[in-house]
Amino acid sequence: MDSLIPFTTSGSLVDCVDRKMLVILRDGRKLHGVLRSYDQFANLVLEDTVERIYHGNAFAENWHGLFLIRGENVVLLGEIDLDREDDVPLKQVDYNLLISYHKQDADTKKEREEVKSQILYEQKGFCKEGGEGDGY
Amino acid sequence: MLPLSLLTAAQNKPMLVELKNGETLNGHLVNCDNFMNITLREVYQTNADGDRFWKLKECYIRGSTIKYLRVPDALLDVVKEEQNRARDAGRSARGGHAPGRGNMRGGRGGRGGPMRGGRGRGRGA
Repeated sequence: MDSLIPFTTSGSLVDCVDRKMLVILRDGRKLHGVLRSYDQFANLVLEDTVERIYHGNAFAENWHGLFLIRGENVVLLGEIDLDREDDVPLKQVDYNLLISYHKQDADTKKEREEVKSQILYEQKGFCKEGGEGDGY
Repeated sequence: MLPLSLLTAAQNKPMLVELKNGETLNGHLVNCDNFMNITLREVYQTNADGDRFWKLKECYIRGSTIKYLRVPDALLDVVKEEQNRARDAGRSARGGHAPGRGNMRGGRGGRGGPMRGGRGRGRGA
């Protein structure tokens, strides 16, 4: 990247505007959409957004449309390589088919995290985390 | 066009607000401020599991509790239109076609990154 642009939110994201982006939120949601705008808090405007869920080697999409995401909830923002996005070895299935599996996966993950943090707290001297709904 | 100006432009439009705790609120935007605090009217509130519902006449949401907002797809085009019209009006008010200085306005300089999305680039999905 041009070294004249400082490393700020604005500096880092200019090049991403009007590109298809992947956004991961703190609750674990994965959104694909075209980044139309952002500000210094990384509040994002995503157009033609779809939510993707995964289970095993299958994925499914749910169409959402125009999104305004509050920056605080963004974990990751990545550009999607349009030439290669169809090369992933996953097969698309119906959303309604996959959603129950996806929920199960999320619940399992949450339980594991809870057990883990309990052990870290009781046996390893770690502090308790805030429980802010992180699921990514 | 910044995210918050999109929100401002969404006044009286229907929208879905999801809070950080997973609750969702469906209603029409009455007003909003720069903290993203908003008021909605005719609200349907849904709990995080999506199995309980409440109807509220009007409600206020503190901006910091919001996860995201879903707004009508057409809004982006509407705002673009409005901005173009405002710019053209400003231009003709100043007289004639845009002078050199006019080009520096409205974030159209080299570093006006966030404005790029606001200008007609088509729907390049």
